[in-house]
Amino acid sequence: MNEFFGIDMTWIMLALLGLLAVSLATVGWVFLRNRVMFMIGVRNIPRRRAQTTLIIIGLMLSTLIISAAFAIGDTADYSITNSAYQRLHSVDEIVQVQSGGDDDDGESFFEGESLISAAPIEQARADELVQRFRGIDGVDGAVAVIRGPAAASNLARGQTEPLVLLMGVNPSQLDGGFESDLQTVSGESADLTALPEGAIYLNESAADELDARPGDTVTLYAQNQPYEFTIAGVLVDRVLSGALSIDSGFVLPLDRAQELLGRPGEVDFILVSNEGGTRDGLDRSEEVMRRVESALLGSPLRASDVKQQLVDDAAEISSGIVTIFVVLGLFSIAAGMLLIFLIFVMLAAERRTEMGMSRAVGTKRLHLVQIFMSEGMVYNIGAAAVGCALGVVVSIGIVQVLARLFDEFGLNITFNVTVRSIVVSYCIGVVLTFLTVTFSAWRIGNINIVAAIRDTPEPVQGEKPPVRTTLIPTVFRYLYWLVFKPRGREWLRSALLLVAAVAGLAASAALASGDPATWLQVIAVLVQIAAVLVAVWFLFATFHMGSFLAVGGIALMLVGLGTDQGFFFGFGWSALIFGLAVVLAQLRFPQRPIYTAAGVILLVSWLLLAGGNTPFERVNGMDGGAEIFFLSGVSMVLAATFVIVYNADLLLHLLNWMGSAVSTLVPSIRTAVAYPLANKFRTGMTIAMISLVMFALVMMSTMNENFGQIFNSDEAIGPYAVVAIENPGNPIPDLAGTLQQEGFDTTPLAGDGNGPDGDDGIDPVYQANRSIAEVSQVSNLNEEGAQDWSGYPVLGMSDDFVRNARFTLQQRATGFESDDAVWDALAEDPDYALVDAFAIPQGGFGGPGAIVEGLEPTDETFEPIPFLVRDSATGTIKRVYVIGVLSTQSSGLFSGFWISNEAFNEVFERPELTQYLIRLDDRSQANEVARQIESTLIERGVQADSLRKIIQDFQDQQQGFLYLIQGFMGIGLFVGIAAVGVIAFRTVVERRQQIGMLRAIGYSRRAVALSFLMESSFTALLGIVSGIALALLLAYQLVNTDDFVPGGVDGFYIPWVQIILIGTFAFLASIVMTIVPSRQASSIPIAEALRYE
Amino acid sequence: MTTEFTNLPAASPTTNGAARDLIIDARGVVKTYRTEDIVVNALRGVTLEVPRGEMVAIMGPSGCGKTTLLNCMSGLDEIDDGLILINGEDINRMSDNKRTEFRAKQMGFVFQFYNLLPVLSAVENVELPLLVSGTKPREARERALSALDLVGLRDWAKHRPAQLSGGQRQRVTIARALVNNPAIVWGDEPTGDLDTTNADAIMDLIVGLNRKQNQTFVIVTHAPEVAQRCHRIVHMKDGEIVSEEVAAGAPA
Repeated sequence: MNEFFGIDMTWIMLALLGLLAVSLATVGWVFLRNRVMFMIGVRNIPRRRAQTTLIIIGLMLSTLIISAAFAIGDTADYSITNSAYQRLHSVDEIVQVQSGGDDDDGESFFEGESLISAAPIEQARADELVQRFRGIDGVDGAVAVIRGPAAASNLARGQTEPLVLLMGVNPSQLDGGFESDLQTVSGESADLTALPEGAIYLNESAADELDARPGDTVTLYAQNQPYEFTIAGVLVDRVLSGALSIDSGFVLPLDRAQELLGRPGEVDFILVSNEGGTRDGLDRSEEVMRRVESALLGSPLRASDVKQQLVDDAAEISSGIVTIFVVLGLFSIAAGMLLIFLIFVMLAAERRTEMGMSRAVGTKRLHLVQIFMSEGMVYNIGAAAVGCALGVVVSIGIVQVLARLFDEFGLNITFNVTVRSIVVSYCIGVVLTFLTVTFSAWRIGNINIVAAIRDTPEPVQGEKPPVRTTLIPTVFRYLYWLVFKPRGREWLRSALLLVAAVAGLAASAALASGDPATWLQVIAVLVQIAAVLVAVWFLFATFHMGSFLAVGGIALMLVGLGTDQGFFFGFGWSALIFGLAVVLAQLRFPQRPIYTAAGVILLVSWLLLAGGNTPFERVNGMDGGAEIFFLSGVSMVLAATFVIVYNADLLLHLLNWMGSAVSTLVPSIRTAVAYPLANKFRTGMTIAMISLVMFALVMMSTMNENFGQIFNSDEAIGPYAVVAIENPGNPIPDLAGTLQQEGFDTTPLAGDGNGPDGDDGIDPVYQANRSIAEVSQVSNLNEEGAQDWSGYPVLGMSDDFVRNARFTLQQRATGFESDDAVWDALAEDPDYALVDAFAIPQGGFGGPGAIVEGLEPTDETFEPIPFLVRDSATGTIKRVYVIGVLSTQSSGLFSGFWISNEAFNEVFERPELTQYLIRLDDRSQANEVARQIESTLIERGVQADSLRKIIQDFQDQQQGFLYLIQGFMGIGLFVGIAAVGVIAFRTVVERRQQIGMLRAIGYSRRAVALSFLMESSFTALLGIVSGIALALLLAYQLVNTDDFVPGGVDGFYIPWVQIILIGTFAFLASIVMTIVPSRQASSIPIAEALRYE
Repeated sequence: MTTEFTNLPAASPTTNGAARDLIIDARGVVKTYRTEDIVVNALRGVTLEVPRGEMVAIMGPSGCGKTTLLNCMSGLDEIDDGLILINGEDINRMSDNKRTEFRAKQMGFVFQFYNLLPVLSAVENVELPLLVSGTKPREARERALSALDLVGLRDWAKHRPAQLSGGQRQRVTIARALVNNPAIVWGDEPTGDLDTTNADAIMDLIVGLNRKQNQTFVIVTHAPEVAQRCHRIVHMKDGEIVSEEVAAGAPA
């Protein structure tokens, strides 16, 4: 992949390499200047092997997640691009009559391509253009083709394919650029000129579907006529062999295809091949496009650089995939960084006495930082390399699953990872760990020497509040005392900050000035990063944490209000509340009520914020995306963790009470619960880590469950059960009549067909050709003041459909008192129209398809919105008024711009195809009826499906992808589990003497082991329950917002099975991690343990 | 008065122990520590008899094996050879679980560094031995409070060790050692971490308990003033008992 968050990956790599160099240089400086500190750090590594292993696991997890995400991105990029090159092969540009909106609606050529041509090109004109294009510098071939839909069957093998594409290619134009495009799977060239009458080529996909081989006889149904052919050969899937909007294709010489399709003298496209091969021909695309377009001036034809578009799409999709994986992996990465921090704090606790001794004999605080930094960097360099490698291994597994998922779409996923991505992942891993280790080391170095040597608790930090004198000076002294740290080399700080500010500004100026050289850009970015780091250090070194957070929080809230960005506002709010709590603690208020209140306030406010239920409209309406999800998760988890650790003693009473029923458990429970409660920091960190990952997993499951339920409701399909879609190559004007002619039993269909309204249970809907159907809100003008058209599915409603559909509407125009009033108006006035919920900005789930401006999903009513509907091929335009918006539920299957049949016929010469929506007396028969319709009309190529099955299939596919992402996010669980293990191993060492004492006074081995197991379970359980509860609370709030489904949902669904599975896995895994240290603890020799210091 | 001590041959535990009401009867105890390169003969066939209700001090230079002897006699450590009978029972033939249970019911421990659990309050620390021996929590709490009362710390019951002075912590440890009404209390430098005043106070408490409750105390100490308040002083050197004397604290 070439870009990430819109930034060139090479730049990202260079900047990160710079940061890596800075990190290494820092430790290198320690090595050169203070080798003894470096050596102390390095020699600490092999002291405890099991612990070292866990540290490396903890350090590598972040790198693993990042490298897996990038490797998946590379794979997506490579696979999609490769697929584009393989399919297009020599085709670089396509010339056709094309909708003006196609370029804007985000669809690729293959998706947007219709099955039949709305505006064919005269063959003579096409031949003339082919000659002209061939004369263009940079073009080595051009060929005219026709294509059309058909149905096919291989009766000998009992296989039928209701929809295939018949491709007609002018064989005389294949010389030059397209000679290798029609190629058999065995690698030979297919010669169309030598193809005998009655013979046909088919591509690999069609051959697979029909189980057909060369020499087989197949029947093609086109224009409602059967034609028998002998297969001359199976071709590789390419555009020229019919792999276009659908995969299965047949190929004939142009004249024979025209005859079959009933379109003599017409072609649909001219395919252009640039000089050069499949890949390097792309380099000429820009200049060729310019020349081809100038050759087309004044004609309705347009050229698209399809290959370039597909390569760009591939880059965009792969960048999107990496973003999804990285953003969703952020929870795990955050948990990983907490783990690194915890590990180093615990290492410091273990070495506290020796650190105190070192300080006593003259080691400076900075030296302690250097020792830990050196040790951390050695772990880091190795762990990041292992993490990178394992990330690639994990991504291979994920790619295998992706390959199966995308196989149905004909996309061949092939694993691929670039050296650049590995370098980027490695650098991110090392730099993130370096920063975390440095921060931990800085915090660790701040010890009281006497307390450290005697291994007694640290004395309370900070000096006493200033003495009260007269009011005003006291207020100022208090404020100063609250805000500023007491001592330090202010001149050094100020000078460094000044240098950093000047350097940062100079770097910004360099970047802003024109187009600076690459090396200058890299240096400027590095200088900016360094300036930011210095500024952060200055703030930490100058201000007390509480006041810093509070003031910084207010500043961020103001930024959020100014820019309407919920992220800044929410971040600022969280910082403000935590900051105030720290300030109150600094003022010696009791910690339990302060931190409990801060936690509860944050929890409640984030829930209100997520649901858009704060008392402030301004705040409710702020913008936000995935980053808000991450921020809300982190804030809520931290808030809940504070509430838990400061109030968990209440749980102790409960557990003691419960445990008293089994008296043998009482001693184990007593120590198992007391230790985590006493070590608030450690317990809080572990709870937060597990809770973060559980939160992300449960949130994802719950939102997905509720999302799925929207489209599972009865409202999603209205009165219908089955949809039958005609094959455009074999149109069926009257489905009911045709079915009766073929002897189909219509009894299951709703309506008897003989009533006064002639209801036969079948309601047709007419679909306009997507390549020419465009809509535009009357007020929507582009920069030049002209109408700004968008390609959008336009559907014509038959009278039967208007009479029977009566879907629930999300919004109605003023003057219509009920949904029925809107449907009645649609029946009477051909100028009225409906749109689906996705056409509204942020409606339903937002998305690129929004075409309506000035209407919010929360608006209850609106003035009828004037819209223009256009056939871009003929230029016919019709004005209609949107008077209703379909509910989100029904918009899943029935998305489109719905106009009356009369209006449809006014704008479009003919529908591309007709969809028949079928009502049944008993919907449970939908699958059977669909199967019977398909088999009855097999030769007409009608495709019929149960609507419920369509929804289910879609959801199954989506579910597969989501499970995959959940699995990826689940990697983060190992962080929490590793934390439980690290703590358990550490506590065995730390409490060796206490364990000896417990054994001496009568604790059996079993009681000691049980106590350790229960202790870990207690912490893990708190994290698991906290994560689940927070996710469900937040999901409940989100599901009940209008942003989720305008108008609300009919319930909140909890995926209990998934939640229980995830929770049980996390719980059991944390128990497994504790088994070894528990056994160690229980088998400690008592006398030896009592001697241990 | 100091007498040379001769190692005695192993005797029948039942006859000897029962006849003299010995609570501790250790005979020919051998303990050897082995590492890869070094073999340390910590106890070289030590024999020691302690009658019920006696206070015995074990003294000797560092590394002479006095703590090892205490650990072996209390069942905290295994022996390589010899016999140790506590209240007539061979402690080394017991399974680990049985020995643990035996310790919980018959023994109390007072160590130099208190070894209280820092995360539990004083009363919770004291009641632990009762809970492990299956006493109901309510009863355990009442008995723990009584034990704290005995050492003068009932008002400090809810304080954690970090909130107590060294002397108070050691009193809590003594309360914990006594709460089960054990047959023997083992003390390993019980005043080693205390100043003179606190050390005196703790010894007053121990001597008082011995007199009032006829509790047996075996105390390992470096401090002559502590040893002199016991009934008997046993001197060790290089893993052997080399002499013993009657201490000033012995009943007249």
